[in-house]
Amino acid sequence: MQQIINFLIKYRNLLLYMSLMLVALIFTIQSHSYHRNSFVHSTGNITGSFLSSRNDFNDYFNLKEENDRLRKENAALRMKYLANGDTLLGNEISLVFTDSIPYKVFPSRVIKNDYNKRDNYLTIDIGSNQGIDVDMGVITTDGILGIVDISNNRFSRVISILNSEMSLNAQIKGSNVIGSLTWNGNDPYTMSLIDVPRLAKVTPGDTIVTGRQSTTFPPDILIGVIKKSQLVENGSRYQIDVELFNDMTNLGTAYVIKSRDVRAIQVIDTLTVVNNE
Amino acid sequence: MNSTLLNNILRFIGLLLLQVFVMDQVEFLGYICPLVYILFVVLYPVDNNRWSFLIFAFIIGIIVDAFQDTGGAHAAASLTLAFVRPVFLKLVYGQGYLSKNLKISKSPLDRFALLLALSVFIHHLVLFILIYFNMSQVLQVLQMTLFIGLSSIFMGVILFVLFGLRGKS
Repeated sequence: MQQIINFLIKYRNLLLYMSLMLVALIFTIQSHSYHRNSFVHSTGNITGSFLSSRNDFNDYFNLKEENDRLRKENAALRMKYLANGDTLLGNEISLVFTDSIPYKVFPSRVIKNDYNKRDNYLTIDIGSNQGIDVDMGVITTDGILGIVDISNNRFSRVISILNSEMSLNAQIKGSNVIGSLTWNGNDPYTMSLIDVPRLAKVTPGDTIVTGRQSTTFPPDILIGVIKKSQLVENGSRYQIDVELFNDMTNLGTAYVIKSRDVRAIQVIDTLTVVNNE
Repeated sequence: MNSTLLNNILRFIGLLLLQVFVMDQVEFLGYICPLVYILFVVLYPVDNNRWSFLIFAFIIGIIVDAFQDTGGAHAAASLTLAFVRPVFLKLVYGQGYLSKNLKISKSPLDRFALLLALSVFIHHLVLFILIYFNMSQVLQVLQMTLFIGLSSIFMGVILFVLFGLRGKS
């Protein structure tokens, strides 16, 4: 007994080091696995309000640029709306703004952005009080941004598309060729589209958009253009380098998308699985 | 005695605010953000109570983790630095640093820079191994350690010259 106590006293620093290190390692491993509720994250009320006040200050430096971007988007939306009004004469307003629209869009600001780690996360300044829930898609004016991961009452954490655990359904615009969009952890401007079948028609310069099989994003949201493609796995599949439209290093406004049909699609999917068994 | 404690608390809060509000926004060349909060661990007063030292190093690391969403990488790195600091002190200030009543914040600049360089190296190495968490990206870990380490040493020396020497006069 005496020896055990002596041992504990002698090595108490080492034991404390090892136990705290174990805690830190557990946190680290949790943070690298997809969709695990982590203990330490930037969505808490204290860290969130700190980051949000930091962002308030930084916003002033980008006001002009951000305004430009929003003006351009307004113009594009106005054009779309006018085109719509042209074909649907009469009651277009009730058609555009009814409760049965398939997607609801929530505007938000990015208050923390990362792009130089292997697993990157963003923080946005709206949360469950505003109706944000986990697994909703997040986009910007130019392209996609990520998926909501943790949602607190005032802030939410978003898994960036620049995250090694991320895999998104995407397709080549104008065809039904699908693949999964992943990031290899190096360049914040490029992602790769993998598992594209060999017979697909792949031309550099083609546009990549979100696919119809994804329940988090609406179809046909822009992602990027094909930069380079090569055949891998003995020439059976394409690996395509996609240059993103979105500048992930410079983000201001983001839109969270809530899909009306998620629950329904999930129910149908589980039904098919049950029937197959 | 109280002034050391007060100094420490001020350093803890000040370095954290500096890290979160200024240094994380620097992004020199797109990705270089100096890590200055480790000065708290480097400059922590030398005494025999390593127990509280380890705990404080862990706490400052976990707070930075919360702001950067890195899980526990900063906590692990600064904890490791706190654990091996006596070895570095022995290397830099000689065998009898404990009996000489050493004050790191008042030591000569060259000694401090050497201590800081050693500390930054071990801290950043552990940090980026845990952030990348992938054996195939060893080169990138080393590259980040080198570049961000150089920026951290630079900022650390500047802060030391600006604030450290004032107490001497």
